[in-house]
Amino acid sequence: MRRSYLGEFEEVVLLTVAVLGEGAYGVAITDELDRQTGRSVSISAVHAALHRLEEKGMLTSRLGEATAERGGRRKRLFAVTVLGSRTLHDIRAMRERLWDSIAPQSLPAVSL
Amino acid sequence: MKANPPFLAERLLAWFCAPHLLEEVQGDLHERYLRDLDRFGAGRAGRRYWVNVLSFIRPFALKRRPADFPTPSLFHPVMLRNYLKTSFRSLTKHKVSTLINLFGLTLGILACLGIYLITDYELSFDTFHPDRERIYRLVGEGQFGAKGEKQKFGFPPNAVPAALRKEISGLETVAAFHNFETDVLIPDGTEKPKRFESRRHGVDNAELVIADPEFFSIFSYEWRAGNPKTALREPYQVVLSERKAHKYFGDLAPEQMLGKEVIYLDSVRVRVAGIVKDRDRPTDFTFTDFISSATLRASPHMKWINLDEWDDIWSSTQAFVKLPAGTDPAQLTKPFQDFSRRHFRQEFKFVPALQPLSDLHFDADYMDNYSRKAHLPTLYAMMAVALFILLIAAVNFINLATAQSVYRAREIGVRKVFGSSRKGLVAQFMSETAMLTFGAMVVAMALVGPVLSAFRSLIPAGLTYDLFSLKTIGFLAVVLIATSLLAGLYPSWVVSSYRPALSLKGHSVVMGGQKGFLRKGLIVFQFTISLIFIIGTLLVGRQMSFMRNKDLGFSTDAVVSVDVGRAGKTELVAERFRKLAGVDRVTKEWFPPMGESFMMTKLKYRGKREIEMDVSAKVGDENYIPLYGLRLQAGRAIMKSDTFSEMVINRTYAGMLGFRKPADALGKLVEWQGKYYPIVGVVADFHEQSFHEKIGPAFIAHMPRNERNLGVRLATKGRPMSEVKATLAAMEEQWNQVHPDTKFNYRFLDDSIARLYEKETKTSRLVSTATGIAILISCMGLFGLATFTAEQRTKEIGVRKVLGASVASIVALLSKDFLKLVGLALLIASPVAWWAMDKWLQDFIYRIDIEWWVFVLAGVLACGIALLTVSFQSLRAALTNPVNSLRSE
Repeated sequence: MRRSYLGEFEEVVLLTVAVLGEGAYGVAITDELDRQTGRSVSISAVHAALHRLEEKGMLTSRLGEATAERGGRRKRLFAVTVLGSRTLHDIRAMRERLWDSIAPQSLPAVSL
Repeated sequence: MKANPPFLAERLLAWFCAPHLLEEVQGDLHERYLRDLDRFGAGRAGRRYWVNVLSFIRPFALKRRPADFPTPSLFHPVMLRNYLKTSFRSLTKHKVSTLINLFGLTLGILACLGIYLITDYELSFDTFHPDRERIYRLVGEGQFGAKGEKQKFGFPPNAVPAALRKEISGLETVAAFHNFETDVLIPDGTEKPKRFESRRHGVDNAELVIADPEFFSIFSYEWRAGNPKTALREPYQVVLSERKAHKYFGDLAPEQMLGKEVIYLDSVRVRVAGIVKDRDRPTDFTFTDFISSATLRASPHMKWINLDEWDDIWSSTQAFVKLPAGTDPAQLTKPFQDFSRRHFRQEFKFVPALQPLSDLHFDADYMDNYSRKAHLPTLYAMMAVALFILLIAAVNFINLATAQSVYRAREIGVRKVFGSSRKGLVAQFMSETAMLTFGAMVVAMALVGPVLSAFRSLIPAGLTYDLFSLKTIGFLAVVLIATSLLAGLYPSWVVSSYRPALSLKGHSVVMGGQKGFLRKGLIVFQFTISLIFIIGTLLVGRQMSFMRNKDLGFSTDAVVSVDVGRAGKTELVAERFRKLAGVDRVTKEWFPPMGESFMMTKLKYRGKREIEMDVSAKVGDENYIPLYGLRLQAGRAIMKSDTFSEMVINRTYAGMLGFRKPADALGKLVEWQGKYYPIVGVVADFHEQSFHEKIGPAFIAHMPRNERNLGVRLATKGRPMSEVKATLAAMEEQWNQVHPDTKFNYRFLDDSIARLYEKETKTSRLVSTATGIAILISCMGLFGLATFTAEQRTKEIGVRKVLGASVASIVALLSKDFLKLVGLALLIASPVAWWAMDKWLQDFIYRIDIEWWVFVLAGVLACGIALLTVSFQSLRAALTNPVNSLRSE
């Protein structure tokens, strides 16, 4: 199986879109990332990532309704495509396989 | 609260961000801005907005997505073809305005092209000589007597060039030449040699010079035959130009012409030592016969040019200097002054100076008798006039195009709906303008030849031009582009601004008040220029007629001046003329009272104190005063006598000598060249030079030696013109009996006085031509606008008529607006014209006053012309049956 390569940031953005569901658009995604990962990302970085993901076919987008708080401009709402979903699952499966293969006590203990 | 992010940042974003991403990005940033505003306040939020915007400068945001329906490039061949096709259609649809514009632009470009060709020709004079920046003419400042006025001379005393060559080291080459005129004889083996008449002064170019051999080291020529090193070294040698040589000897090869004999001044026999190629570029050095200057010393017939003369100065003497490379002419000022101090110890002082070759054609201060001076201010004035005419034509275009754009609103609407961009529309309109301008240019190029020859009196003689030279083409290209931009940019911008939604619904898109102002402003501008020209024409015309009609102090009626000059036998000719029936009176004279030639000499009077001054000498016999009708105020005219024994002075001189009444001067003695002569009469002042000069002191005396020429008054009272012709023919017959070899040279005094005003006559013709063109173009523009207004208001006029308006009131309604504009133009034009004309008139000592009614007359004329133009259209509109105009909806 050929897998599309995703960068780490792209993966996180893709996951965030999935987390947000219906209301996934630029600012919301940025805020969610901020909250979940604790790192401050710029809107432009998020936009760039979304753009790339859409080009790779992992996301689709449509324009939402105009809202007053954005100066009458519409939001672009993103949703994860089947390809995106499969990619996420693949990555997850791969990671889990890897976790499963780790011998007990071979990782130094970390208290969470 | 309504808060907006920083405006500039928004603009920046909108500019760089790809359109398909712009909305979401703007929205997101806006949303973020509002949050920041809430949290941190306006300042920090603004800064963060800026940072966010700048961080979007990355490839994905910059990259444009190809449109689904791409607009072809504005310069795609398909688009170009489309522009041409639609331009052609719209030009042929609006025939009247197309013709008006074409005509106006043609005139404008024609004027520009013609004047460009003239200017280019004048500026190209003597620009082809190698090392021309090192060539200078030897000129100087001279002064007769310690109290005399310092004068600029374009020529040095005869002895100066050779002395400079010897004494001043910093001059590389010095060459002198003397020009002269004579008939030329070519012996051809028969009894009577072939004779070539001398040039007509003021008509033909100067051709004969006696030149130093160095002349050919300063000005290089292409030699057809002979050796440039040795030609002109010996006495009795001549170098001819190729064309002149062929004229003398027919179709001989240049080598065969060497050694042939040419006779100048009837007895100076010289041999051809060289043949040079004629100049084919504009030059003031039009000489064709170069006689070796060694001949001057050798020939007894050439003694009249005295090479050792220090104390007098002749306009026929010329000297040129070539400085070594890198020499600054200013370095020579000091040596020249020392030179002057060494050599000029007597009455006459002369300080040499250098005039750059490039000034020779333009600087009229340094006169000579062969070069034709171009008057730079006149050239500049002509350029300005041409530019204004083109400007008026462009204004016409702007006015008509914006006015007509209403008709095109629908077309624009449809085009925009189909996706035409504003740039595309501008390009389309510009191409229309360019096409029209190009058409005008082609017509102008075809017409410029005939037009230039029609205005021959205004243009420099010998004008040559090449319409297809790179320079001319370049100039035309600049004119084409500038005119197209000037005329087309504004209309196309206006037209392309229409909103399709409005124009397609049939809403009137007539410009609001602001744009109307522009159109009115342009009309005012046009009429201001036209009015300035009109006022100029009126005032120049009045000054000209003042000069023609003012009492000159003597009579010029039917007076013919006969140029006897060196031919001699003046008395015999005079006797024969006197016997003719049609001749009233004949005087032997030097020059007539007024004309280009005059002579100043020093007179001394010892009254209470000694008064010595330059006085103009009018030389003639006892017939001089009665023939010219000079009015005696006291005493009597000169009596018949064999020698100079008495004189008559003019009123000004009498006043300068301190006589309060003319009669007081009678019997007083005046000293001239050491002898005393009594004053026997005083005449009223008369003009002897143009009206630019003040009447100065003058005296009339009989000096038989100088009375070489004749003044003849024809009896014209009650006789038809044909008899005058018959008399002139009879005079010529008598002349030919006395002088079979010389031509009968005569000129009406009126004509020679008119020659004094050649420049003014040119100015007058130029101004009146410009006026005519300016008025014509402006009126055509006005006509076009009136047509348009009348059409626009058809319905209104219909309604007005139905409600009982009279034809007169409607015509008034339509004309009133235009008249107001002309009135305003008059207000602007008057002070400008007054200022310009006042400056022009300052040049005249005797001049008209600028009177207020001239301005009123100009205004009335302009109003009349405008009214006439407009009324044709407004009358037609007013006479239309309202049924026709109101029926169709």
